[in-house]
Amino acid sequence: MSKVERLLNLTAVLLETRIPITADDLRELVEGYPPPGPSFNRAFERDKDDLRTLGIPLVVESVAHTDPPLLGYRIPPEQYYLPDPGLEQDELAALNLAALTIRLDDLGSGEALWKLGASAGAAEQSANGAVATIPSDENLGPIFSAITARHTVGFIYRGDSRRVEPWRLDFQRGRWYLTGFDLDRNAERNFRLNRIDGSVTVEAITATAERPANETRQARQAWEIGPDLVTEVQLLVDADRVAWARQQLGEAATSELNDDGDVIFTVPVVQVNAFFSFVIGFLDHAEILGPPQVRADFIDLLGDMA
Amino acid sequence: MKKSESAGDRMRRLLALMPWLRERPGVEIADAATHFGLTEEQLLDDLAVVFMVGLPPYSPDALVDVIIEDGKIWISYADFFRRPMRLTPGQGLALLAASEALLSVQGSDVDGSLARALEKLASSLDVTPEAGVEVRLGQADQGVLRELRDAAGSGQALEISYYSYGRDELTDRTILPWRVFADSGAWYVEAFCGTAGGARLFRVDRIGSLVPTDTKPDAGPDGGRRAGPEKAPDTWATVGAGFESSGSTVRLQLGPEAAWVSETYPCEVVSTFADGSTVIDIMVSARPWLERLLLRLGQSSSVIEGGGFGEPASLRTDAARRILARYER
Repeated sequence: MSKVERLLNLTAVLLETRIPITADDLRELVEGYPPPGPSFNRAFERDKDDLRTLGIPLVVESVAHTDPPLLGYRIPPEQYYLPDPGLEQDELAALNLAALTIRLDDLGSGEALWKLGASAGAAEQSANGAVATIPSDENLGPIFSAITARHTVGFIYRGDSRRVEPWRLDFQRGRWYLTGFDLDRNAERNFRLNRIDGSVTVEAITATAERPANETRQARQAWEIGPDLVTEVQLLVDADRVAWARQQLGEAATSELNDDGDVIFTVPVVQVNAFFSFVIGFLDHAEILGPPQVRADFIDLLGDMA
Repeated sequence: MKKSESAGDRMRRLLALMPWLRERPGVEIADAATHFGLTEEQLLDDLAVVFMVGLPPYSPDALVDVIIEDGKIWISYADFFRRPMRLTPGQGLALLAASEALLSVQGSDVDGSLARALEKLASSLDVTPEAGVEVRLGQADQGVLRELRDAAGSGQALEISYYSYGRDELTDRTILPWRVFADSGAWYVEAFCGTAGGARLFRVDRIGSLVPTDTKPDAGPDGGRRAGPEKAPDTWATVGAGFESSGSTVRLQLGPEAAWVSETYPCEVVSTFADGSTVIDIMVSARPWLERLLLRLGQSSSVIEGGGFGEPASLRTDAARRILARYER
């Protein structure tokens, strides 16, 4: 009897039972366990760990009419079975293609697709056609599960302990971010996943803060984010740097073309310091024209270094 | 059997394989193997395990029954394992994120099937639009991106004007692209560059203009293809300069608030001090790139060795004065 067979039999028994089964009874029911004693206990503990690692929802409940109460195990079918999302063949094919084109390291989209009924064969054939690889993070799975269950998460962030109601995971500028409601600071906060120390803990406390409607789904630059008021900054960009500037500034900025090909962009800026950092990227190929205070601040910033 | 496969990996596959086979009585062994990315031998190995699976009292009618005949498979068993296991959070996230990311690339969902799939999947995972996952692969003009992908597919040569950020210079080039991809927040194109006479990596958001040309650069029989770097280089300094980074080492002293530099760019931390300040060695390929870094870091950092780009004491000062000159006109 191989270990896989024993685990499959154990899963089948626990899935079919309506009442929790004690460890002793499981030893009788499932073939391949050692006799009662420490070696059985060890084998059973390992099997429980294996099932949980596989994501199988093993629950522990007290067995009715036992005194003192005995603990038993079962797998609730409604938690185990994949609800049928009702995907049509073309939709499944599209998902398959998406998973092939955009790779998330280590998260197992291939296995997810088997479960949904898509083919792994195609995956191997076009593995080289990946358009993007998105880095994974050990905390992505647990945080995502807390988002869907509306649970709170706790973690250490730059040395501080945080409790957060998680709302959204964003991948941008090559990094994963968590947006949520920070319960200690009583405000919305963003966290970089790779700055979280160790593993997050998920607490089954139902989240209470109201999730904001997702107002913007457009790419946001660093100078557009924050609670401060918007300042409209005029930025003159030399003709040969205009194409690059336009790509960076996106649709939020309006522009006005001069005769010589230079362009004056009007950019809504929330964080002036972040915008200065962007403008430095142009070196001497751009100039902040106004408002006067912003121009003066930029000159001061450079003056301190000159 | 793959050598590295654990009992868990095999169990995962069997829990998906069994319901799949049960829904398809008489499926060809070859088709089933292809579907799960296995050889036929591996698939038969898997089936040998499930023969012994069942419910107590393990009488023949309570065990899984597998019939293999004429290269076809029939499986029957009681009601356990009637559907695959739920997606783990990681798996659900992987699929949602991949779909979200691809939808953000214009022209990748012509018939809307991906958007429909995403909606169904999100609702079965209990994710609402305002909560969940959002993926942005990088800033890029969707039109440029589409033309590059088309050119890579058809072998079309393009004339581009390219802004080399590291060197702070504009060049016109003829390129033969073969791969377009996103990595670490930006889109890249790998191409043979006729102007440079070799394989080059370009950032899509630095391509200013692009027109198809009939003058194909002589890239050799393989189209000049060369395996690119495993990951796109993180440092702006190396992009556009060929696949191997070249440059010289600059040694910097960084204040405690400049720790992001060593998190962002490949560099070697030479020493760390109690107050959090560090000394690092960083590879720099061009002076403008270094000037921007120094200006952004401000007074809290200083150059110890200039790597041949200039005097340590005056690198930042010169750059600041050059920009200020614009404001004095």
